[in-house]
Amino acid sequence: MSPAEKRSPLFHQLVVYLLFLILLLPLLGTLVYSLSTSWSATILPSGFTFKWYVALWSDTRFLAAFGRSLLVCFGALALALLLILPLLFVVNYHFPKLDGVMNVLILLPFAIPPVVSSVGLMQLFASGPLPILGTPWILVGCYFTIALPFMYRAITNNLQAINLRDLMDAAHLLGASTWRAAFMVVLPNLRKGLMVSVFLSFSFLFGEFVFANLLVGSRYETLQVYLYNMRNDSGHFTSALVISYFMFVLLMTWAANRLNKDKS
Amino acid sequence: MSFLHIQNLHKSYGPTRIFTDINIEIGQGQFITLLGPSGCGKSTLLRCIAGLTAVDGGQILLDGQDLVPMPPQKRGIGMVFQSYALFPNMTVQQNVAFGLRMQKVPAAEASKRVAEVLELVELSDYANRYPHQLSGGQCQRVALARSLVTRPRLLLLDEPLSALDARIRKHLREQIRAIQRELGLTTIFVTHDQEEALVLSDRIVLMNGGQIVQSGDAETLYTAPADAFAAGFIGNYNLLDADAASRLLGQQIGSRVAIRPEAIHFADSGIEAQIRSHSLLGNVIRYRVEACGVELLVDVLNRSAADLHHDGQSVSLAIGADAIREVA
Repeated sequence: MSPAEKRSPLFHQLVVYLLFLILLLPLLGTLVYSLSTSWSATILPSGFTFKWYVALWSDTRFLAAFGRSLLVCFGALALALLLILPLLFVVNYHFPKLDGVMNVLILLPFAIPPVVSSVGLMQLFASGPLPILGTPWILVGCYFTIALPFMYRAITNNLQAINLRDLMDAAHLLGASTWRAAFMVVLPNLRKGLMVSVFLSFSFLFGEFVFANLLVGSRYETLQVYLYNMRNDSGHFTSALVISYFMFVLLMTWAANRLNKDKS
Repeated sequence: MSFLHIQNLHKSYGPTRIFTDINIEIGQGQFITLLGPSGCGKSTLLRCIAGLTAVDGGQILLDGQDLVPMPPQKRGIGMVFQSYALFPNMTVQQNVAFGLRMQKVPAAEASKRVAEVLELVELSDYANRYPHQLSGGQCQRVALARSLVTRPRLLLLDEPLSALDARIRKHLREQIRAIQRELGLTTIFVTHDQEEALVLSDRIVLMNGGQIVQSGDAETLYTAPADAFAAGFIGNYNLLDADAASRLLGQQIGSRVAIRPEAIHFADSGIEAQIRSHSLLGNVIRYRVEACGVELLVDVLNRSAADLHHDGQSVSLAIGADAIREVA
């Protein structure tokens, strides 16, 4: 028996719970702060209230920013899906050797820090044939490149697990064209990879700040930029914002998990 | 007039020649096996017949019609893959009905035909299961049903039994053969397993290095191998070079010789030999013996335990003259 196994299970549980507590502590603090009337010179807040949440969710500027964030994220994800699915299919089915090139290509967005690439993007799109700096379009394009690696990897793994070539061959011999085979046989089997990658990218993009602030800023105020602009406001109010944001992402992730488990 | 006539077919990937000058004639309703070691081109040949891989030259005439310019969808060929290739998102019923859906067969007729073919492969009770809920043998029977339901002119089986365990493999190969006979379906079966080939086929086409080595019925292939490769691949032939054969048989022999292990008998007198080792294969005992400095395999029917020869024992061997085959 190894020494680790001799210790009581209580010890292991304690370590895990302690870790959870440490990770959750800032979030818990924010939650309590967002629910308290005022909490400054005392150990415990002086009273609890929902007024910060009420104020937040009745602020039209917040709701607009929330909507804009949703729009930009879903726009980028839709664009990514539309381009990546056919691309992946072609790479895996017709040019498997391109996979190596693609693997390098999709790592590029990680290799360059957002601050650096946004400076480049600013110069490129400030004028010239495509002056989209300051518009949501540049964010959609930029978020597309961030979502690319997540989606590419998740869907590639999924594709490799289903034996694409044999499935396509079988469908062809049974009379299906390549298009029909792709839609009826391949696409339904990629559902899991698609869902996981879409929700993962979504929660990541929804909280993105650097690009949103530098490329567009207040001209098209997204959620994170709004939060930044509200930094001098009441801390209780911004805490309510952070908790609301966190709950939303949590809800999306939970929904994604549920959707995935139901059918498989 | 043969039903399927393959003429001068060849295929290469760049400088690598996969197969050359393949000529095969198959009669209607025949069961043909393409047998050979892996990499001999047999699977590629099958894919070329199906239209999944393009050929570089030659003709594939099916019922007088050249298949080479046709896409796989139009060839009327059914195929079963080693990996089953069942559609994971569809039930057994939907998998089998897929081909009929593509042919736009009316729903009522389609469901009748699906039910019939599922009955044929004894899977009627599993129609609503998904492939991941089935065993390997059941999956392969679904794949068989799926390729039969469209009533193909030609059925291709690409190592369909290789992924299954031994007991199921034996059962399924008998089932495949029975269904093929019942439907009178012209079938090409690819395998690297000589036992499968010998048991199933009307005719065996033995391939090596992209060429046909020998073609004939099981008996011919087993008793009269065309060359040393055929002798080495089928059965457990003792292959002797000219010198060893001359020494062993006491006569001048000019070429390589192949002797089947079951054609050598223990006799009261004959060639002096010593038992080196033995292994029990069940109904057969395989002895490794040494005679005149030549090592031989001798198969003896396992009649009773009293007949067992022990290692190191001296014996005499008799080899019938008709069992000695000279191979190039």
